[in-house]
Amino acid sequence: MRRPLARSLTALAAAALISPLLAGCGSDEPAGLVIYSGRNEKLVGSLIDKLEESLDTRVEVRYGGSAELSAQLLEEGDATEAGLFLSQDAGALGALSKEGRLAPLPQTALEKVEPAYRGAAGDWVGLSGRVRVIAYHPDKVATPPDSVHEVVKPEWKGKVGYAPTNASFQSFVTGMRVLEGDDATRTWLKGLKANGKPYENNLAVMDAVDSGEVSLGLVNHYYWYERVAEKGEDELDVRIHYLAKSDPGGLVNVAGVGMLKGADAEQSAYARKAVDFLLSAESQRYFADKTKEYPLAAGVTSDVKDLPPFESLTKPEIDLGELDSLKDTLAMLQDVGMV
Amino acid sequence: MTDLQIKGLVKAYGPEAAVLDGLDLTVPGGALAAVLGPSGCGKTTMLRIVAGFLRPDAGSVAVGGRVLSGPGAHIAPERRRVGIVPQEGALFPHLSVARNVAYGLSGVDRTARRARVEKMLELVGLAGYGERMPHELSGGQQQRIALARALAPEPQLVLLDEPFNALDSALRAGVRDDVRAALRATGATAVLVTHDQQEALSTADLVAVVRDGRIAQCGTPEDVYHRPADPWVAGFVGDAVLVSGTADAAGAATAATALGRVPLAAAPAGPREGLVLLRPEQLRLTDAAPGEACGTVTDVRFYGHDAMATVTVEGLDAPVDVRVPGPVPVRPGGRTGIQVTGEATWHPAVVPPRACG
Amino acid sequence: MTDPTTGHSADRPAAAATPLAGRRRVAAGRRPSPVLLVPACAAALLAVLPLGYLAVRALERGPAYAWDVIADDRTALLLGHSLGLTAAVVLGCLVLGVSLAWLTVRTALPGARIWSVLVTLPLAVPSYVAAFTWLSAAPGLAGFTGSALTLTLVSFPYVYLPVAAALRRTDPAQEEVSRSLGHGRVRTFLRVTLPQLRPAAAGGGLLVALYVLSDFGAVSLMRYDTFTRGIYTSYRASFDRTPAAALSAVLVLMTVALVAAETRTRGRAGHARTGTGTARPAEPAPLGRLRLPALGWCGAVVALAVGFPLATLGYWLAVGNSATWDPGTLADTSLTTLGTAAAGAALTTLLALPVGVIAARHRGRGARLLEQAAYAGHALPGITVALALVFFAVRYARPLYQELPLLVCAYAVLFLPVAAAATRAAVLQAPPVLEDVARSLGRSPLAVLRTVTVPLAAPGVAAGAALTFVVCMKELPATLLLRPTGMDTLATRLWTETGAGSFAAAAPYAAALILLAAVPSYLLGRHRT
Repeated sequence: MRRPLARSLTALAAAALISPLLAGCGSDEPAGLVIYSGRNEKLVGSLIDKLEESLDTRVEVRYGGSAELSAQLLEEGDATEAGLFLSQDAGALGALSKEGRLAPLPQTALEKVEPAYRGAAGDWVGLSGRVRVIAYHPDKVATPPDSVHEVVKPEWKGKVGYAPTNASFQSFVTGMRVLEGDDATRTWLKGLKANGKPYENNLAVMDAVDSGEVSLGLVNHYYWYERVAEKGEDELDVRIHYLAKSDPGGLVNVAGVGMLKGADAEQSAYARKAVDFLLSAESQRYFADKTKEYPLAAGVTSDVKDLPPFESLTKPEIDLGELDSLKDTLAMLQDVGMV
Repeated sequence: MTDLQIKGLVKAYGPEAAVLDGLDLTVPGGALAAVLGPSGCGKTTMLRIVAGFLRPDAGSVAVGGRVLSGPGAHIAPERRRVGIVPQEGALFPHLSVARNVAYGLSGVDRTARRARVEKMLELVGLAGYGERMPHELSGGQQQRIALARALAPEPQLVLLDEPFNALDSALRAGVRDDVRAALRATGATAVLVTHDQQEALSTADLVAVVRDGRIAQCGTPEDVYHRPADPWVAGFVGDAVLVSGTADAAGAATAATALGRVPLAAAPAGPREGLVLLRPEQLRLTDAAPGEACGTVTDVRFYGHDAMATVTVEGLDAPVDVRVPGPVPVRPGGRTGIQVTGEATWHPAVVPPRACG
Repeated sequence: MTDPTTGHSADRPAAAATPLAGRRRVAAGRRPSPVLLVPACAAALLAVLPLGYLAVRALERGPAYAWDVIADDRTALLLGHSLGLTAAVVLGCLVLGVSLAWLTVRTALPGARIWSVLVTLPLAVPSYVAAFTWLSAAPGLAGFTGSALTLTLVSFPYVYLPVAAALRRTDPAQEEVSRSLGHGRVRTFLRVTLPQLRPAAAGGGLLVALYVLSDFGAVSLMRYDTFTRGIYTSYRASFDRTPAAALSAVLVLMTVALVAAETRTRGRAGHARTGTGTARPAEPAPLGRLRLPALGWCGAVVALAVGFPLATLGYWLAVGNSATWDPGTLADTSLTTLGTAAAGAALTTLLALPVGVIAARHRGRGARLLEQAAYAGHALPGITVALALVFFAVRYARPLYQELPLLVCAYAVLFLPVAAAATRAAVLQAPPVLEDVARSLGRSPLAVLRTVTVPLAAPGVAAGAALTFVVCMKELPATLLLRPTGMDTLATRLWTETGAGSFAAAAPYAAALILLAAVPSYLLGRHRT
């Protein structure tokens, strides 16, 4: 009985010896640009292929969670190999900016995007936007509400799904605090907690609405398109509804990019070119068509059907990357017992 | 010669009483010494110090004049050339018999090693068993292989830690003789640790009785048996009959006891009141005759080769044991006379504490 | 049957070592030889690296700030949740592990051999996969119930394996004596058998407890606020490493307390069993009318722990459009995963060897400290350990950073106790007198380790290596941060696909992960000590 196990251990050891060879393949040519991407490979992978073509150098990408990667970049400090950080949300970029880890972006790049969607210190810029919407099940909801204030009404008791740990949800709460004040927001959160069911993330909320487990869900718009891509629109019951203009629930969140300090001159040059590429019409069109997000650079508009015009959406009155207000929001969420 | 010299060995575990308390022992080269003592008296601790697994708190161990353990010196077990045969043999279960025996033969070329293994297996009477695995051997065979393994690298000293304990009595004598013969054949100095006095007396050239971490007596088996240093040693190495007596006038080697006048091995020095020590085989049952010691037989135990009768003697508090060769002439309850043959040993009346157990 | 670890044949049951002999050997305060001590200290040092990092980060804004974080009401709440969940899961694992071990080892359960393999397979299921599948089927489970259920179902083999091994070793003669003294089957089990299983069960329970404390995958999906989730929230929602480090430090203290408690439960029993093994196998207890319920119990556990996740994956594969997975990528990723996990298991086992040997052969403060150091980082969430290694590597080992060796080191830090516990148990089975004999025959301590201790402990050490291999394969957070850029394991691939909502595309990777991890789990189930 002992022999097979001992032998398999030897096999494991042998495999251990060849594994560095496996891991090493394909990295002979040094990369001109290293990107840390908090955006999923499935969303940006093919865009980065195009970037590689355009830069004419090898681009290496490390995928991970935006928050984890920003923590990693903070630990790495000047020793980082990364030249560029693609983030899923503004908070992670704000964290790096606050610690002085981001290099200033060229004015030409910054100017392509409205000030509301870029860092106050001019060291990060939004690339694409997503809007908070209400997902609903048409069989259960005849007319979906136009305002998030509706969902805390008694008629929706036990029928609202939300994802309290999701970064977009949290920046929406921050936005609401700025627009309506802390007290009103706290009252609303308590109402939501009483009415709603919490889920781990937006997709889980979307699926819960689709299965009829809840009738409404507070989500980002593009998750619906992701689900359509996965299952097909015919297979899907859930639909989304855009909130009325100026409703705090219809906040726009951004995914953005920043250049890291500590990169050598050569990589910095590539990084600058990459930022330009990501703000180019080609890339912005990619976000519009592939991820169904709103392009943020001036001059490109999405033509995905049913998507309301970008100008009609609620513009954030806050600095999306500002962490102190994020912390207050987190404290409030913890206070009402949501996270 | 590779004699073993142990001087003033002290070892304590923690603050309580020392396990070894100044133990001295000398074993001449080529001799087989038995270290005999009740369990817990420190004999195994001594063995482990000699082997190098423990460091003494004080004292020294030297073999053939080379200090192995001593103040400021401690030679690692693997460099001592001291072989051990533990209880139950402790053969390496993952190695064949031959590889067990060859284990200590590193640095020897293959043919020499094979020859040595063959020789050792022959020596212990197990030639041809080399390819077996330890669990395919009986207990006695395992023990003999353990000895062969210990002897293979030609150690200066072999330590045997109660090696025959686990064997049943039928096997024990045979294995014991084989081990003795093998040790003799190689001429190795050996120390056998045991709590079995028969084993010690029958196997060893020299018996050292240990009590409370010291040697109570060391001598030939005959010495220790017939001329024990004190009543405790006498009782530990065999059955003893202890009666109080009064020595006759100074210079005379006789004493008056309830069993009559008894000749002593040596004239006592010191007080005239004392203890007279006899072995049960020195007593004989006789027809009760006037003027002789008399008593009543209370119990008879039969051992085959002889029997033991317990007799309550008039004038003695405790009954005495009498070894009777052949059939016992008296039944329990019957009257009998008692006669003493041979010489007794004389001990001062102070009985040392019977601790250590 | 003969026991290969002692070489005593079945017809000599009288040859039992005195307990005194065993006790004497370990109590004698012999100092471990430098050959063991130096690598063991190196391993312990590697294991406590994250603690150094925690100290730097937790105190960077002054002790007052760190204390405020720790003294917060919420910390107490998280602590309560974590401890409650840990207690529930450990209890659940003990019930499942001990009952299944007894059924498969000691009773006439039909197909006992097959069951003994099947019940180890849950090891192969990552907690996040289990939680995800359960949640998709029954969203109502979210919270404490779901967390406790999924964690129990994936971690009970940690208890099952050592307890089953201990049951095989117990001497049936003792139970027979108890029966002959008038105690029934149940009383005998409770009063004779169970106490002997205590060290094995406690060791397994400790691994379960530390696993539950460090787990993020299941509790985050089940939305149960535990300490680890609090640490992640600090990183994710407020992008702040200082409170995360302060909370992690509390987790380390809890670990040390748990390890100390487990050491206490070991008692002398574990050490006294250094002599002979089982003289003969126990007669399987007839189940009688309980046969069907027993089969049902085993079947239910296996179905819930393994069958259910696999069935769910199959369902995803059938319904999703994203099921356009590339067999080539799957094969490459599988190979990389196997290689990386093997390297991790090899290094971890190597480092655990001296630690385990010292823990088994030496008592005293030094040896205990060494073992506790090895455990110290085990309850830390993977992200914390990964960031600690980032911290040290960019400063002191730049060339290794984001190269395979560093990832392998992270696995060693994370899983050292898994391998060390197995090694310790295996070495305890080998009588120490054999090492004495070997040294008296002129072999150096290192040679004795190589020729006697390791070969005798090999089956147990190999079992530990297999277990480490499985946990390395499933590891996600540290792998994400420390893998060579561009490298993918099955776990990271699974993370990518589910992160994009492509469940059908994720299914093959999840299935491959479970099936590949099932191979060493299967070997573990077949392994007999």
